[in-house]
Amino acid sequence: MLVALLALAPAFAAAAEVPDAAALARGKAAFTHRCSMCHREGGTGTFILARRLGAAKSLLEQRTDLEPTYVRTVVRWGLVNMPRISRVELPEADMDALVAYLTAPKAPATP
Amino acid sequence: MKLILPPGLTKARFDQAMAAFARAIGKEWVLATDEDRETYLDQYAPGRDESHASAGAIAPGSVEEVQAVLKIANEYRVPLWPMSRGKNFGYGGAAPRMPGTVMLDMGRMNRILEVNEKAGYCIVEPGVGFFDLWEYLRSRKIPLQMGIPGNGWGSVVGNALERGFSGNGDHSNNICGLELLTPTGELIRTGMGAMENGKAWALFKHGFGPSWDQMVVQGNFFVVTKMCLWMKPEDEAAISVEVKLDKPADIGWFTEAVTPLRLRGVLDGYVRLTSYQATATVPTLRKEWYQGRDAIPDDVITKIRERFNVGWWNGPIRLSGYSDVCEANLRRLLDSLAKHTKQEFKVTRMAGNAVPGPSTYPLQMVNWFGGRGGHIGYSPVMPADGRLVLEQFERTRRRFIEFGLDYSGTFYNDGRSATNVNLILYDKDDAEQKERVRKLFVALIKDAKEQGYGEYRTHLSYMDDVADSYDFNHNALRKLNERMKDALDPNGILAPGRNGIWPKAYRDQRGKL
Repeated sequence: MLVALLALAPAFAAAAEVPDAAALARGKAAFTHRCSMCHREGGTGTFILARRLGAAKSLLEQRTDLEPTYVRTVVRWGLVNMPRISRVELPEADMDALVAYLTAPKAPATP
Repeated sequence: MKLILPPGLTKARFDQAMAAFARAIGKEWVLATDEDRETYLDQYAPGRDESHASAGAIAPGSVEEVQAVLKIANEYRVPLWPMSRGKNFGYGGAAPRMPGTVMLDMGRMNRILEVNEKAGYCIVEPGVGFFDLWEYLRSRKIPLQMGIPGNGWGSVVGNALERGFSGNGDHSNNICGLELLTPTGELIRTGMGAMENGKAWALFKHGFGPSWDQMVVQGNFFVVTKMCLWMKPEDEAAISVEVKLDKPADIGWFTEAVTPLRLRGVLDGYVRLTSYQATATVPTLRKEWYQGRDAIPDDVITKIRERFNVGWWNGPIRLSGYSDVCEANLRRLLDSLAKHTKQEFKVTRMAGNAVPGPSTYPLQMVNWFGGRGGHIGYSPVMPADGRLVLEQFERTRRRFIEFGLDYSGTFYNDGRSATNVNLILYDKDDAEQKERVRKLFVALIKDAKEQGYGEYRTHLSYMDDVADSYDFNHNALRKLNERMKDALDPNGILAPGRNGIWPKAYRDQRGKL
């Protein structure tokens, strides 16, 4: 599983559909409550991703190459040092919103 | 993870039980797919995943639902392992001791029921995390301080029930009243909460008659549904004294210098001293320093210390409280240190509320070998005596070197006792290294036992070994615990094997992994 995920990750393209604002808001809330302690600036996950993939891919909320199945699978099965997250901690409805949030097309970065 | 059934239960009977759980609490909260079971594995397992694989999880959302779950578990003889948030990494995480046990995931019960600023306490459910409580206090500007362990991702209740600690001391000492369910479903409140209209539940620990709270801590006799926990009023001022000791042997005189001050309350929390390695394991990878499979040698240790400008032993001493008292205590501390060394110590003054919040930052250390990492800790409790502490350090470090593992040790001095946390990092995908970790752990238990020291807490895989070491009068205390277990839990459904306490129904599982 681990090897397959590592190999597949860069090949995914960003999702094309734009989720509605409510789903994005719920997804952002799920990210804040369940992911941000490791995956925002200064977090453990951010540091380890920077080590593995480079600084440009270390902040999940800025990534444009995440794919729904990939996000879902990493959350439930863990990846490298990331612990697995159960359906109690992140129920399916929140998972759907989280996936929508992380895979939504991003506005181009301001120069 | 494929289904592993509890001992003695057929698949048909197991399926009937899971269906009954679903009828009682909703099928959404019965988690029994292969993927669900994966999410309840021990992320940092030092051995095989199967040794502590659950058969799934049940997640009730109320006291009444927990009671319904207990009734069904007794009817079908399904063993349950209560967990709060499952972030007890290094000790087993969200996994049970016995394969096939069903996790009783209390994470949905996550309300902060009360925070009392005047009396300094909170009443919380098991699913409340340190981040949740921190945010609650900060957003409402409530001037109370909470003890936060190194991994702040976990449960406030679960951590206190495991005797987790921080610089503020042993968190189980802050428990003042619990709401419990017995294995057969009776609802009980301890201490002053045993009164129907008790007004001092969270204020006075003992009530009338025997005091039960510490019977619950690290036990497997009850399910905790609410906890009253004391918190400290925000300090007016704080002073940090930076300690950097150059030589390994310095820990001996340092212990002698600070122990009397801790005993007298001049220092109001644990006095922590950590070896140099902790500074390297979080921000760097081992291969940046050393490629050998033996323990990191002294010349590399010197390079690490030079790069991070740290001592062999390091640790800030924090003084906090009223500013004038802090200054007086600082003078006492510096005078005591000056009797042993001419070294000057950097002193930093700060506001009393300048305390760090919860963080998962230290978890980066499991990336030390670069791949899927893990850690366990061997943590015996011993006298806070300089000579004995130095001997314990030297003996333990020799063992790490013997088994080719990098020494990382911390001593938490509480004035009378010192808890010596030895962190063992490993690569989960390196079977040969994990076997050395197992041999080291067994050797450390034996060494400490010979000195009369025992662990205060341990990983699932070593609970029986550590319980064996508490052997006064042929393990009389364990026998007492198991008599009580059989009386309260006749079907042995709650957390079989937790901390070496096995119910009659599963006693033949003792020692099996």
